[in-house]
Amino acid sequence: MSAAFETVELLFNHPARLFASILPALLAVMLVILANTPVSFTGGLLPAPVLALAAVYFWVLVRPDLMPPFAVLVIGLLEDLLSGGPPGLWAAGFLAAYTLTDRQRETFAGLTGAGVFVGFAGAVLLAAATAYGLAALVYLRLPPLPPLLLESVSTLVFYPLVAIPMGWVLRGIVGPMRGRE
Amino acid sequence: MAGLGWRLTRGRGAKQFSLVVCSLSAVAIAFLGKAEAPLFDHARAMLSDWTEPALTQVRGPLIGAERWFDGIGALFTVYRENMQLREENAELRKWQNVALSLADKMRRYEILLNAVPDPKLSFVTARVIGEADRPFVRTMILNAGTADQVKKGQAVTDDRGLLGRIYVTGERTSWVILLTDVNSRVPVVIEPSHRRAILTGDNTPSPRLELDVGDGAIKPGDRVLSTGDGGLLPPDLPIGVVRESGDDRRVALFATPGTSDFVHVMEFGVPSPPPVYEPVPAPALAADNKPAPATVTAVMTPKPAPTAAAMPLQSRNPDAPRFDGQDEETEQ
Repeated sequence: MSAAFETVELLFNHPARLFASILPALLAVMLVILANTPVSFTGGLLPAPVLALAAVYFWVLVRPDLMPPFAVLVIGLLEDLLSGGPPGLWAAGFLAAYTLTDRQRETFAGLTGAGVFVGFAGAVLLAAATAYGLAALVYLRLPPLPPLLLESVSTLVFYPLVAIPMGWVLRGIVGPMRGRE
Repeated sequence: MAGLGWRLTRGRGAKQFSLVVCSLSAVAIAFLGKAEAPLFDHARAMLSDWTEPALTQVRGPLIGAERWFDGIGALFTVYRENMQLREENAELRKWQNVALSLADKMRRYEILLNAVPDPKLSFVTARVIGEADRPFVRTMILNAGTADQVKKGQAVTDDRGLLGRIYVTGERTSWVILLTDVNSRVPVVIEPSHRRAILTGDNTPSPRLELDVGDGAIKPGDRVLSTGDGGLLPPDLPIGVVRESGDDRRVALFATPGTSDFVHVMEFGVPSPPPVYEPVPAPALAADNKPAPATVTAVMTPKPAPTAAAMPLQSRNPDAPRFDGQDEETEQ
């Protein structure tokens, strides 16, 4: 009850703080929509990236308090539904990536340069493997693997395009409004 | 609610519990998605209806930027492409003349035979507002739904050929399962051998041909068209050409979803069943006292269609071209 009371109190007395709290999840939802527009900047060479996974990874790394598992589940489900795929696959994949990133947060946060890609690549591969394994288990057939690998590569390539603006949002909006973790 | 979720996950134990519950929920949803597909299709339609304004707004600037990027690359190939297009245009003009004369000849034959004309296909033109070229599905979202008379199962084409079929309809949006999707199965006919096959998507750009009926030879370059079999799709929609890679027979599709901005949703009704004919009772005994064969008992007597020659000239379409060997003045 006290948590609910605090939420209502937050909503009425500190709308800016509330906005900053939900902003990471909102940005991830926007990226779900963006990734499903009929546009390819690679001339069809690479499939559309899973941009929301990059947002989930970024926020779990820098502010895990603003990207709880429930938000990750909802973002994953939106990704599944809006991309036309079977529901639950990317949701489970996102949560697997969340678990890895949360457990290895200290290690991943210390990576610099190309190491940033290595950390994200681990999260992407785990998410893709989880989605693939679950799809095989549910539908009792192995989906083609190359498209999934290509999508993972595409997601990896687009990571800086997500992480850099997210860094601006962290420093310019979320940090000042929400304070440090 | 958002704040509640955030606060609950503050503690490490609560966070772990939340993670386990969410992970189990995701797995349960995956299994439920298979068992209760219509439920999730409904949710998908509602979600696309809800996000349709956002998809439409985001699409415009992104497509502008994409064209700008493409335009930079095209600068280097524009001369070669122009020469190639000139050659193709000259070749196509020859084929246009052939097509026009054949169409005219076909129209004459149809009038001569008093053939039932093919039904005119009406269609709805819709804009592509979303596209998913994903490992588990190949689909696109259109900005036309049940409010525009779009129905599940209807064929979707662009100017070049068949793209796929509608599989989910919302009020203002609909989803297309593309021919390349792993779940797509479409009956096709291969010309000129007239061999039937099933076009099976496998998430590659060129779906596989699974040969079905007939034994005609098939060679690379043969045209693949839709059939009206099962009332699934309108017949004779162009799909692609056969190409062989090893033992595999695949189809290079005419339509490319990546470059389709606007598409047609074809309104095609399943033809009504043929009329029920009255059986003619077989005569008990023929004139020479031999019993009539048993097979005669179910002879059908459809009303014969009048032939063109038997039709009075006044009952013909006055606008139809005359080619019965007599000119107007002679007949009058």
